[in-house]
Amino acid sequence: MCRIHPVRPNEEEQVTNTIDISYLSLAAFLGLILVPVLAGAVLKLGITKRVLIGVLRMTVQMAVLGLYLDYLFRFNHIAVNFGWALLMIFIANITVNRSAGLKTSKIFFSVMAGIFVGSLTVIALFVFLAIQPKPFYDARYLIPVTGMVVGNCMRANVISLERFYSSVKKNEKTFLTYLLLGASLREAALPSIREAVKPALAPTLSTMATLGLVSLPGMMTGQILGGASPITAIKYQIAIMIAIFTAITLSTVINLLIGLRVSFNEYHMLRKDIFR
Amino acid sequence: MIRFDTVTVEYDGRPIIRDISFHIPKGDAAVIHGRSGSGKTTILTTIVGMHVPSAGTVFFNGRAVDSTTISEVRRSVAFIGQEPVLGAQRIREALLLPFTYRANRNATPEETMIGEILHKLRLEDDILDRETAVVSGGEKQRVAIARALLLGKKVFLLDEVTSALDAESKQAVIRLFREEGHTIFPYPTIPTGSSSAPRSSESRREP
Repeated sequence: MCRIHPVRPNEEEQVTNTIDISYLSLAAFLGLILVPVLAGAVLKLGITKRVLIGVLRMTVQMAVLGLYLDYLFRFNHIAVNFGWALLMIFIANITVNRSAGLKTSKIFFSVMAGIFVGSLTVIALFVFLAIQPKPFYDARYLIPVTGMVVGNCMRANVISLERFYSSVKKNEKTFLTYLLLGASLREAALPSIREAVKPALAPTLSTMATLGLVSLPGMMTGQILGGASPITAIKYQIAIMIAIFTAITLSTVINLLIGLRVSFNEYHMLRKDIFR
Repeated sequence: MIRFDTVTVEYDGRPIIRDISFHIPKGDAAVIHGRSGSGKTTILTTIVGMHVPSAGTVFFNGRAVDSTTISEVRRSVAFIGQEPVLGAQRIREALLLPFTYRANRNATPEETMIGEILHKLRLEDDILDRETAVVSGGEKQRVAIARALLLGKKVFLLDEVTSALDAESKQAVIRLFREEGHTIFPYPTIPTGSSSAPRSSESRREP
């Protein structure tokens, strides 16, 4: 496995590397939001309220996150860092359940297991083997990488679970036909699993194929702004894409396979009570 | 062969069929009468475990249908609907689909056997290479029947099957079942005055 050598400037260097934005400038810059608000008003898009709520939520959430991360980075304690990673997975799980229209109480643990195994395996390989920070649980590496991987797993699993369960529900007769032709539960579900996993992987797949052609990827932009050399930033970007793609594949497949055990009744038919 | 003992099936808390009891012996044929929407299809799909009865018991071959016996039921029973799911792009793949499953992998039929069954059902040999999307409803039903016969199914649940068949194909289907001594349920409706009228035990549903 290729090793990515972390650029580890000391604190002072880091501060001089990135020019801070003063609160006054940021506040003034936020005023720019008036442009889309006005445009929306002229075109009667009816989005003014949503834009304002969106901006407000973003600002508050970022402020809280900033405070929290600042504390997290200073403290840099193994339990706190891993606790934060678990909390991210937990929140992702609840979001997945809700967005996919499924009852949290029914499939919470199966989704948790899928995202947990899928993302943590990849994160461990990426952070502990490829980057090798010291200490290995260093918040500066663990937290952002976990955030990106889990965030993508969340999006992918919303798509795959929603597609899978609606496909099976919609094609109940087809499913029964397969069972009557001698298919095991897994064999009968395979067409729906394919139909669910493919669209979940598609966005990341097309992002990989066009990466760098249209825009600079987010992680790379961040690192370059943070003072890293473009070469280092590129290595991280390639690694994170592989990490994300592997994690979403693992987590969606694990989730659906465990789902076969919890979401079907003793006659191998889909249980109706898993839907909201 | 198939026995319902005061079976009730509910959907969303409302009964679709209520307190249904009947018995169909092996090798026999039976008809279900009832208005559309009265639960005829539900009776058939309950036999193959699409619904779990909220009350009563379904028996197959003298044993209660439950999680341990459902796979045996599904091995012996074919359900042919009005528009059967073929599950493949071409007819040949559709006929061979069950043999891609682990359970049937060692039982893949010979080409001659497929030809024989198609012939008996009055299907042309060239149908094998046609796309499933372009064949008629009646052909789909006969392909589904052919597939069930290739799997050695003994019991046929026919849901308004012969509605899409012309008189000649209907006779072919009925003759074939008769020859093989299969249990047919419900028996296809056939033209009046025909010599092969069903000697059926009849099951009528309470309105």
